[in-house]
Amino acid sequence: MNLILLGASHHSAPVELRERIDFSRRGVPDALSVLGEVPGITELAVLSTCNRSDIYAICEDAARQREALVAFMSSYHDVAESELAPHLYGRQGNDAVRHLFRTSAGLDSLVVGEPQILGQVKDAFTIASQGGFTGALLNRLSQRSFAVGKRVRSETGIGEGAVSVAFAAISLARKIFGSLKGRRALLIGAGEMAELTATHLRSHELHQIYVASRTAARAAVLAAKVDGRPVPWEDITEQLMSADIVITATGSASPIVTRRHLDTAMRSRRDRPLFIMDIGVPRDVEPSSGEVEQVFLYNIDDLRTIVRENLTRRQSQVDRAELLVEEEVDRFMVWLRSRAAVPTVVALRRQFETIRQSELARLEPKLASLPPASRERVEEVTRLLVEKLLLAPTEQLKSATDQETVAVYADALNRLFRLPDESGNSDSDAATAPARPTVPSPRTR
Amino acid sequence: MNILPLVLYVVASGAYAVYFARRNEAAGRIATVTLVLGALTHTFVIGMQTMQVGHIPFVGTTGAISAFVCLLALAYLYTEMMTDERAMGVFIVPLMAILQIIPAVTNSVAERPAVLDSPWFAIHVSALLSAYASFALACVVGITYVLLFKELKAKHLGFFYARLPSLQVLDVMNSRAVAVGWLFLTLGLVVGAVWLVQIQPGSADPRVQAMSLLDPKIFVVLLCWVVYSFALYARRSIGWSGRRAALLSAIGFTILLLNFVPLGYFVTQSHNFY
Repeated sequence: MNLILLGASHHSAPVELRERIDFSRRGVPDALSVLGEVPGITELAVLSTCNRSDIYAICEDAARQREALVAFMSSYHDVAESELAPHLYGRQGNDAVRHLFRTSAGLDSLVVGEPQILGQVKDAFTIASQGGFTGALLNRLSQRSFAVGKRVRSETGIGEGAVSVAFAAISLARKIFGSLKGRRALLIGAGEMAELTATHLRSHELHQIYVASRTAARAAVLAAKVDGRPVPWEDITEQLMSADIVITATGSASPIVTRRHLDTAMRSRRDRPLFIMDIGVPRDVEPSSGEVEQVFLYNIDDLRTIVRENLTRRQSQVDRAELLVEEEVDRFMVWLRSRAAVPTVVALRRQFETIRQSELARLEPKLASLPPASRERVEEVTRLLVEKLLLAPTEQLKSATDQETVAVYADALNRLFRLPDESGNSDSDAATAPARPTVPSPRTR
Repeated sequence: MNILPLVLYVVASGAYAVYFARRNEAAGRIATVTLVLGALTHTFVIGMQTMQVGHIPFVGTTGAISAFVCLLALAYLYTEMMTDERAMGVFIVPLMAILQIIPAVTNSVAERPAVLDSPWFAIHVSALLSAYASFALACVVGITYVLLFKELKAKHLGFFYARLPSLQVLDVMNSRAVAVGWLFLTLGLVVGAVWLVQIQPGSADPRVQAMSLLDPKIFVVLLCWVVYSFALYARRSIGWSGRRAALLSAIGFTILLLNFVPLGYFVTQSHNFY
């Protein structure tokens, strides 16, 4: 059984192509059901986000199925293979495992450590599992990938610190006010950035967002967009007395809010903190206003610096995160290899059990005269004997570090114990059993 | 007997430091559990001493320090559980460990002189020690407030920004701790004064006779009462919250600590019961 991955991401394909091969357009379940018809594939999952389209599959013949997947991508999305192929990447075995673990950890994301991807990976495998497209192997792989994603984020600082100006502003506000629930925000000016930040603020259950603009009509439009209330331009000084968060973005040539304004406002506020985000260029708030007690003034450059520092800090955690991922890949591969030995282990155990049962049957006339307690004892002793005899070979087989060794051990055991052909006997699950011809489509289930 | 709580406080200090520096959740849990064990053991030790001598073992500065540390541990644990915030432990628990050294090495319970044989004694001392514990908490919270405030003002978001709760949470914690401390301090002082009025005329004990507003220990504690009363007044009436309130509580506790340890041991004529 081979794990293969075929996909394209922001690292390999331009946005124009990514848009065309986006599975979410027709829905991932649809893609899965079409893919399920590809012969030789036993398990499947499709991860589709705005930055990537990855297909994970368990198959018999990696090379052949990879070609089949390329052909599928091309025909499904109606993109010529020659156009698509240079932008696709293919991975196999531990490289495919590593790719998924790095993806879950946010190491492969556009913004390193971003949190959404973990949820997207989870959704992708849930959809595949609900459709009956995953088996023991992909289920285990997906569980491990969530665990890796969580572990990397909790043990390294890769997901810490805001990495966009709007989020940096929100996290600053939260560090000052704790919860933003019930706080008042004042927007001065109606720029795009002010709107974006106000939209983010909205999700934090603010009491109200007041919007002031020199043009009353623009204030009304933005207020409607962010579910706020327009206030007259002349009322700014008064509003400064009650607002907790002020966002300025006017494009005015001279400061709108001066130190004098704030000195006056702060007196009536009685030292209640005021967080001002000045994203106007030139600046809308007189820079010395930041010296007023309990006024926290950040301009656009300050916020950008915070974002840059956070990105640098995240980047500095990448090496540690990669080490953790590598450790988890190794752990998963050990598990995977131990799975390869399962049919042999099962056959060996069955063989021993058959011998034990037949010997007990042969001795039955002699044992019949024994009291029930003694017969139970004989049963137990023989069972323990078989267990103990099989313990070391089972462990050795499961701990073999590469597939060649597993194959050599399995072959030796097959010959030495004349094990029956495993393909006819194994009752192990789909991951290790010889392949089902194809994944049955959900319709047939 | 005071050694065991000391060891647990030292271990908890280390665990809180690891939690703070590396934000390691497991270290945080170990810290809390160790501190809970420390506080329980300490309470048990004080209980045993009470049974041994037949009265609360807070006579003299050494016994008072031990009780103060125990109360501080309980007050801190209460705050940690209420706010679900462990970051403050690294600032408070080491203070407890350092102070606990004194009772741990002395390890004896002072005999209670006849003059202290009164029900007022337990109320007076317990109230004041509870006040000290609250003020210690307020002071540490205040210091962390100032550290975070400075980072936010300087726009250099670093170590404390990543680890401390918000300014608002710290300010509320500080304000509550000061208010609770002030109530206990006032109660302790009033009980002390009433008790003194009752016993001073008939007592020959030189310490009782030395009790006056001019005795260093009494004078300084009254000064603290003035500082904390002003802090409460300033917060309510002139809006001194945040950094100013934090600084006031730090000043108040510094004076208290000086009064508690050096003055309590070496200078006071009225309160030398050790």
